[in-house]
Amino acid sequence: MATEDERYRQSSQFRLWSFSPTSLRELRVKTNDLAKQQISPRFAPDAQPEFLTPAEETMLVQFFTTELIRAAQFCELPTEIRSTAAVFFRRFYITNSVMTYPPTELLKTSLFFGCKAEGYYIRLAKLAEMFPNTTSEQILAGEFLLCQGIRFAFDVRHPFRALEGAVLELRKRLPEEEGRVAKAHALARDILKFSPLLTDAYFHYTPSQIMMAALLMVDKELVDMLIPVSPPGDDGQHEASHAEMREKIMKTIESCRSMLEKEPPQRMKDHWETPDLVKSMKPLRKKLQKCRDTDRADLVALQRARREQATTKVKKPTPQSDGAVFGDAVEARDPKRRKLEAANDLFGPTL
Amino acid sequence: MALSPVVTTTSSASNQPLENLQTLRPVSSPLKNLASGSGQTSSNGTPKPALAPAAAPTSQTLPPTLDLAEQMNEEEKRKYVKGKKLGEGTYAVVFLGHLRSNPAARVAIKKIKVQKEYTEGMAPDAVRELKHLQELQHPNIISLLSVFSSKDQNLNLVLEYLPLGDLELLIRDTDNVRYGAADIKAWMGMLTRAVWFCHENFVLHRDIKPNNLLIAADGEVKLADFGLARSFADPHRHMTSNVITRWYRPPELLFGARYYSGAVDVWSVGTVFAELILRAPYMPGNNELDQIKMICESIGTPTEDNWPGVTRLPEYTVPGQHPTRGRDWYEMRFGIVGTDGVDLLIKTLALNPQKRITAREMLKHRWWHSEPKPTRKDDLPRKDVGAGEDKMGMDLKRRPGMVADDDRGAKVARKLDFGQR
Repeated sequence: MATEDERYRQSSQFRLWSFSPTSLRELRVKTNDLAKQQISPRFAPDAQPEFLTPAEETMLVQFFTTELIRAAQFCELPTEIRSTAAVFFRRFYITNSVMTYPPTELLKTSLFFGCKAEGYYIRLAKLAEMFPNTTSEQILAGEFLLCQGIRFAFDVRHPFRALEGAVLELRKRLPEEEGRVAKAHALARDILKFSPLLTDAYFHYTPSQIMMAALLMVDKELVDMLIPVSPPGDDGQHEASHAEMREKIMKTIESCRSMLEKEPPQRMKDHWETPDLVKSMKPLRKKLQKCRDTDRADLVALQRARREQATTKVKKPTPQSDGAVFGDAVEARDPKRRKLEAANDLFGPTL
Repeated sequence: MALSPVVTTTSSASNQPLENLQTLRPVSSPLKNLASGSGQTSSNGTPKPALAPAAAPTSQTLPPTLDLAEQMNEEEKRKYVKGKKLGEGTYAVVFLGHLRSNPAARVAIKKIKVQKEYTEGMAPDAVRELKHLQELQHPNIISLLSVFSSKDQNLNLVLEYLPLGDLELLIRDTDNVRYGAADIKAWMGMLTRAVWFCHENFVLHRDIKPNNLLIAADGEVKLADFGLARSFADPHRHMTSNVITRWYRPPELLFGARYYSGAVDVWSVGTVFAELILRAPYMPGNNELDQIKMICESIGTPTEDNWPGVTRLPEYTVPGQHPTRGRDWYEMRFGIVGTDGVDLLIKTLALNPQKRITAREMLKHRWWHSEPKPTRKDDLPRKDVGAGEDKMGMDLKRRPGMVADDDRGAKVARKLDFGQR
């Protein structure tokens, strides 16, 4: 077995974020169920809201992914960073529900953290300025949440470099057809910038499979050239196993292609950015508005509450124990401490 | 994949005590572990709504108040038991810990503190360290066994337990620790394999030095602290030159190069090699200018002759002209590793990064095969566990890019930047 395959299997992308279609579906259902269970008690038994279905959640995540892509383009972020941010965003909503945490906020957090994870240190305040009604605090409030949601796997493997490699190889083999290769390169790159982010491609396929699928969409013969029918320089001995392996690979690439074809790059303009689409999203967003976890919709307040909870939890036992050991000297500090605790109430009951 | 393409190792026992731990890394389907684990109160921080039934978390299942992501985090957290504190610094606190299911399997838990002075969220050091350790698994690189967040939103890195201190401890303790050419060869072999593996995976470590080389119970050396690491950049994307602790920093970085390669790590490996032989830092400059001066004196002044283009680097300045040192000069100082060893040293310390040997080429060098054979890892000189444990605590709690402990770090304002824009 090729060592490159082994190496890919050690990556966090494979270990933590690759699933079969069935298990991915199960995860989404489970996430949706848990969210409903948690939100439901916040409403009176006779006034239960209508919750989003897993399919509707997926639809919304897809919609907000296009928003994220547009925001990244607006901020002029490089392609790889934009893709990393989008993958983070989609991973987050596999184990967290759209009803629990607001995607409009997580979208910005994903962009910010995507930059950080790629070592592109954009200033937080500079990013916040780019968005209407957004403070640095709002972007930051979801950061830890996002990190936990993506299981602290910050390295995302994209198919872009694979494409560059394939193009180099093709140029070598087809020195006469520079134009054809260049055209395939540009078209495939456009696909990779959009289609895998809007579909579940990253969850089911490896970067090289995604790259080959994109190439298959633009020029099938080039793929045949890269994955030849008979093994190069073979004496016929391994032909059978090669054919078997090739068939398996082609089948995988084909299925990836049909996934990517559901969201070709022109869909951005022809579908996602049309007024009709925005209108059609309205009922869903309204539904979300009504059934969401109101306690966790405000990430800034939530973050503050969690911080408070952590600090008061540590401090609480100290007054008695300190007092017992040190007597009055410590008791004198107590009023201040009480005041502090009273201040915490500000955030306590309202939530 | 292979641990290295070449290099003879006189490895003995194959049964690593940590082997069972290695397999504990979270694998494939995150659904796998959901059913087990025992009761804990909510960690999601949402105050419970009044209507919610006050479920007593006594059962073996996780509380239903947790989202799937939180449940997974809780699962990871519950696998380990936190023990005594091994060290505390401004960057992190390090605890001894063990597996809940097997108290004999020890781990180190590095809890990264929220950095108050860094107002842009999670500190870049932590992000880098996590990003790269998640991907790199090799016997000579410290293993990240798990990551989880605790209630106070702190990051906890579960690392393999390396109780025998670091290479710096052995180098400095000239009164009690004796070692020879075979030992140096064994340690250098382990370091070179670690660096080769990083580069093979397109990662630059950028902070190689003796106190980032920790020692496992079986004597295996492990490269730690990836807080300054980064992936190889695409062409035309520049990087910060303000990395690598000064004494181990190559000339191209001192001259402010923005585009560089794995050669920067190889230089550090060369300086560690020299330090192992001399048992003192080879070029301990007091500041950056002094560092350049020491390089010019010890190795030679970088000029257009020996390094075409060097004078065009952004911060090129040299104190004076020193001829490049000849082989004899090295033989006199570093002769204990033999002619082949000296040859390898000279190649790692080439001024021109383009001419510097690569990690892969290093592994193919004839020194590894010449006499004496490297010492078996179980027979390598060592410090006792107590001293090593403290040292591990000290090493892991340190900020990346620091020469000594935190006290010193606090006084010398941190000069390393993260390439802020």
